[in-house]
This record gives sequence, structure tokens and C-alpha cells, in this order.
Amino acid sequence: MNGEVILQARDLVKHYPIKAGVIKRTVGHVRAVDGVSFDLHAGETLGVVGESGCGKSTLGRLLLRLEEPTSGSVTFDGADLYTASGSMLRRMRRDIQIVFQDPYTSLNPRKTVGDIIGEPFDIHPDVVPKGGRRRRVQELLDLVGLNPEHINRYPHQFSGGQRQRIGVARGIALNPKVLVCDEPVSALDVSVQAQVVNLLEKLQRELNLAYIFIAHDLAVVRHISDRVAVMYLGRVVELGDEAQIYDHPTHPYTQALLSAVPVPDPSLRGTRQQIMLTGDVPSPANPPSGCRFHTRCWLAQQMAGDSVPPQCREALPDLVERPDGLSAHASACHFATPLGAAAGTA
Amino acid sequence: MSTLVDPAGIAAGHPAPLDATTHIVPVAGTTATAEALRKPETARQQRRRPHIKGTIVLPADHTWTPQDGRLLEVHDLAVEFRMREGVAYAINGVSFHLDQGETLAILGESGSGKSVTAQAIMGILDTPPGYVTGGEVRYCGTDLLTLAEKSRRKVRGAQIAMIFQDALSALNPVFTVGNQIAEMFRIHRGMNATDAQAEAVRLMERVHIPGAAQRVKAYPHQFSGGMRQRIMIAMAIALNPAILIADEPTTALDVTVQAQIMDLLKELQHESGMGMILITHDLGVVADVADRIAVMYAGRLVETAPVGPVYANPRHPYTQGLLESVPRLDTKLGEILPAIGGLPPNLLAMPSGCPFHPRCKHAIDVCRTGTPPLLQQVTANGHVACHRVDHPDVLAASHRIATVPGGAATTEGVRP
Repeated sequence: MNGEVILQARDLVKHYPIKAGVIKRTVGHVRAVDGVSFDLHAGETLGVVGESGCGKSTLGRLLLRLEEPTSGSVTFDGADLYTASGSMLRRMRRDIQIVFQDPYTSLNPRKTVGDIIGEPFDIHPDVVPKGGRRRRVQELLDLVGLNPEHINRYPHQFSGGQRQRIGVARGIALNPKVLVCDEPVSALDVSVQAQVVNLLEKLQRELNLAYIFIAHDLAVVRHISDRVAVMYLGRVVELGDEAQIYDHPTHPYTQALLSAVPVPDPSLRGTRQQIMLTGDVPSPANPPSGCRFHTRCWLAQQMAGDSVPPQCREALPDLVERPDGLSAHASACHFATPLGAAAGTA
Repeated sequence: MSTLVDPAGIAAGHPAPLDATTHIVPVAGTTATAEALRKPETARQQRRRPHIKGTIVLPADHTWTPQDGRLLEVHDLAVEFRMREGVAYAINGVSFHLDQGETLAILGESGSGKSVTAQAIMGILDTPPGYVTGGEVRYCGTDLLTLAEKSRRKVRGAQIAMIFQDALSALNPVFTVGNQIAEMFRIHRGMNATDAQAEAVRLMERVHIPGAAQRVKAYPHQFSGGMRQRIMIAMAIALNPAILIADEPTTALDVTVQAQIMDLLKELQHESGMGMILITHDLGVVADVADRIAVMYAGRLVETAPVGPVYANPRHPYTQGLLESVPRLDTKLGEILPAIGGLPPNLLAMPSGCPFHPRCKHAIDVCRTGTPPLLQQVTANGHVACHRVDHPDVLAASHRIATVPGGAATTEGVRP
């Protein structure tokens, strides 16, 4: 797990212009991703969680350069992803692949499974010699737990879970080093979800893949991830290893998010203290000043009565480890503290 | 549930371990044979299949009073979808009941028939292709299936109301939300527009929509997902129904909003004492709000029991597998999730015997070829449909799960 850093994102920003009027003047920007930095090590899984609209999928697309960033950089294997072009870019894209969320729309219904999984070889013909492609596709089908004889079938002949396996097979066809999984199991049934999660873990062990695992299901992310980044309104608010984030969260948003997830155990009903967040996520086109979370922050409200501490309203907190030992991992809150200790500061 | 009306979804490839064609055997209560399933019925043959058609018109002043607190009794309900590819037996003899103030959770995967059950109770099945072919839906003692559409309309909304998963497509985009809520009062109660609008504002306040007096004139797209869901809840509770059916009410929402909506539903139920049927596949939500659980698989109930015993001692192998395979937030289990192998069955080619047998590790010959197991009482309030329910291995699996949630001690971060 503690391999070398293979992918490094620094201050990634992606703003989408909002156009209005007859001449389509730009009247503002949707700040989908607004300053995200992290390292990804070879063979590890970095989970990215957050509510819808927090920018996690845009982040995934930026990492493949499916979107051009507004600013910031991604360094992959020592080279800059956004200045690369031509054969250099093609080489880098070979090593970073993606699995999409919806297995129903991400596979071309007019192509056979063999064509879908073999298509990457058309773009990167040097990976597998032309004669060996069919065999390689069958190997891949076998690897993801599908019958290699089904190579000539069409996507509609498979169920959702099987289709997602086809998507995974396409993702690993070129032996990538990094696989971005954008909500790979959220469209699947509960009993099938576990199969696909197990498949991803098996492939990681066998192929030493690094995953960026984007999901909104916090329990699934805990299961599969080594480290977890929590996003809110385009920024990472907390970043740490799985146990740090889930057992000792220090950012009030993470704490509220975790407490909102229902636990499948009726004997805990009523004993769990839920932190109820009021209202909805603010629009990323017009994010709050200072700390993005201060409009919904229960900790700020608790500390300063009905108002909000001026610090939270004015200064954007950095994603850093707090020196006083209260947060051993990076947390973007001026008052980052584990929950138990929060009672003391309040 | 959309897969049910999507022939391609059902007809999708079959699990490799099961050779579909060799296992086709009549489903109980039907006359389909292996021959008939290989060769789909013609449209004319399908039309000749019998189904239930209501004709009774109730007097206008009919009153509904539950007997001994029993609101709803569904008995041996059967629903089928008649399509070009063949007949899909979506529900095969489902029975359950609902009491006043109670929350019954119907748990199941897509294609298990949980939404179709709700649609049959409400009388909003798309016909064709869906037909109720058997059973009873007794509301306060009266079988709704025998009622003519005219009488059924009086029950729908006023007595039994429903909220749907996707609030954006359930609301009409060209009318203001106030207009849509007020419609309930204008049509069912004959109120004039001004009074109905005032009632709409009152309801929006009741579901905690801030600035209700101004927002009443807004259109659905001007609300966020959580607020739209609140508007749908407001419409559902407008006429003080005795039963609220919530079909995946929070599946499309974020967890923080989901918590708000479930809280609101609990609050409303507490105020009005209505019975609630919660349809979901989320084991966490069920554990938080349900009193009783009915687990569905392939159009049958496989286990019903109060919520505690189901989680502590699941008795049906499917329920056991389901509970084991869900990753938990409060503990990191081992590397590999104990997944249920295989896939949910194809409703057009249901396996013989117990529909779960191709995925069941305890299956024996009687499961593969015998009649599908019926619900039998195993504990005071618990019923399970499994031939092997008393086998030591199945019992052992039930106990092993009971000991898994040892994570309570490691969750101090979540529970201060």
C-alpha cells in the first residue's frame, strides 16, 4: 500500500461559465472543483465521498483530462498531464482509465462485448498484437468473472452487475496503473454490489492497481478504501486514512455526514446521536464566504450562539494537520477537533 | 422497479450457473408449462388469461373504520405482466397486514415485486401489461380489488396515499406546487381556490418548507431535491390518509437530506397515527424506522418478522446473505464481503422449486424440484418460507450473523 506516489494533484480548479442573455455573456462561474490537492500511491485506494454536487465526479474527469482544468496541475509518473500532447498524452491516458457509474448507458448497445472491451486496443495497438486480441479479451472476461464464451453477446443480454463487470474489464484492458471508479456500484442491487466490490479488490491485489473510488455510499467507501477524502462544495474538507476519517473525524461536516448514515442494526435505534444538518448544500455558483460549510455548520452555531465565529465567515481554512495534536490528519476546519473533545471547547 | 416494465431488463442474460431452459417448471397457481414458456403466448392467448376486475360501487356515504386496529390485509396477491416476450409473474401469492400506527418495511431488490405490490394496493398498475390475477386487498374489511374504479378513486389519496422515489417526475412541471397541493382539496373536498390555496400553505408549513407563503407560487424545478420530496409528502398527507405508502422515498437523496426526510415522516406518523408501508432496499433506513419487516424475493415473501429478530437472527438464507453482504459504516469487516453468488432470477424464466435455490448454499433436492416453500411460523411473530429453515446449518448461519456487529465499541467517533 505504501508505494511511491504515482499521481499528484495540486490546486486543481474547474470552473464552468454560466452564460446568460442574447449574446451569451458570462455572468458567473460554477465552482465545481475549487482547489483540490492530494497524492495517490501505487496500489492504494483513495475514496472520495461527498454529497451530490460537491464536485467529486468532475474531479474524476479532470484526472483523466476528459475536462481541461481552469488551473492547477496533475503530475503522473513525474510528467504533467495537462501539458502533455500527442503520443505522450496517449501514453499517459493508457495508464489512467475509468469505470463509469451507469452500466446501462456507458456501453454501446450496438457493439458486442468483444468489440467494447477490445476497443482500447484499436487506440493503443502496441499493447496487444492484432492476432492476440480476441484471446486477450477472453482472458479479461475470465478475469472479471464472466464466461469467455459470451464474447459475441451484446450488452442488453447481461444484467446490471454483469454489465458493470464488462465496464471494469474495459477499464483494465490496457493494464493501467490508476483506475478511476466513478460510483461503480451505486446503480447495482445490494446483493450484486458486494460481488463487484469484491471483484475490484481482487483485481487490485492481482494487478497492483491504484483506485480513485468516487462514491456517495460511505459504508462501501470505508470497506474498500485505504485513505478517504471528504469533499464539500468543490473542496476537500478532510483527508486521512480510513480509520482516522471514520472513527475520529475532526471536521464538523464529516461528523454530521457520518452520523446521518443509518446503521443496519435496530438495537442501536435511539442510542445513536444524530447531528442533523439543516437546509441544503449552497449553490456552487455562489459559495459562502470563508469556510464553505459555515452556513450549515453545527459546531459554529454551538460555539457562537446564533451567529457564526467571524473566523469561519471570513477566512478559508486550509487542509492541514493541526499542530496541537487534536487532528492527526488533515482537516479544513478552524476548530477541528474529534467529537468527544468538542464538548470541552463548546 | 423499472426493470419490471422494461422487457430488456428482465430478459437480460441469465446467470451462468443456472441453465434457464432446463429449470422451467410451472409457477404455483398458474398453468404455464415449459412448452408455453419456450414459445411465448400470442396476444390473443394472453388476453384470455383471467384477471380480477372490480365492479362494486360503494354508496357515497361509505365510512371506513378499521376493525381492531387492522387497517390493511393483503391476502395471496398475484400480479403478472403480459408482454410480447412472455408472461412475467411479478407477484406470486403475497400476504401481509398493516395495523394503525405501524410501520411495515418491504425490503427487496429490483425485480422482487415490492413496488408492484404497492401499485396493486393503490390500484395504479399499468394495465396492460400488468394484471392482478388473484388475491385480496382488504382495507378496513372491504376488498379493494372488487371495487369499481369510481369507488377506488375515493380510496386513493383520501384513505391510502403514496409518495414516490423521484419527486421531479412525480410533480407536474407546468403547475405551481401550491396549485398541485391545492388540487387535492378542490377535487376531493370541493373547496374553492382561495381556501384550497390557504390549506396548501398550511400543509407546506407542516412539512417544514421555509417561507411557505411565498414558495407556494413556485414551480417544482425551483426547489431542491429534498424540498420537492417534502412537497410530495405534503400532497400525500393532505387528506389525512390512514395509510401512507412510501416507495423508496429517500433513494435519490443525499444522506444528510435523507435523515431530514425520514425524520419528517416519523414526526407526521407520530402526529396522525397513520400506518406506513416503507418500500426500500436500504437496510440501514429499515433498521431505523420499521416495526416489522417483510423481505421479498422474486415476487414472494421469504421472511416476515419484527425488525429486531430479523437483524439479530435472520432465518431465511436470502436474508442472511443480504445482511452479511452489506458493508457497515461502524466496523471494517474483513477484506472480502460475503456476497451472495449469482443473480436475481429472470421473472420470465423462474427457476423451479424455491426461486432462491440457484444462489442458496443450503439447497437440497426438494428446494430445486419441490413446490416453492410457503411461509411458515417459526417464532411468535416470525414467518419464513424455506424448506431448510430448521436445518442446523441454516440455524448456525442465523446465529453467526447475530454476533457480527461487534463494532459498537469502535464507533465512539460517530456516537459522542
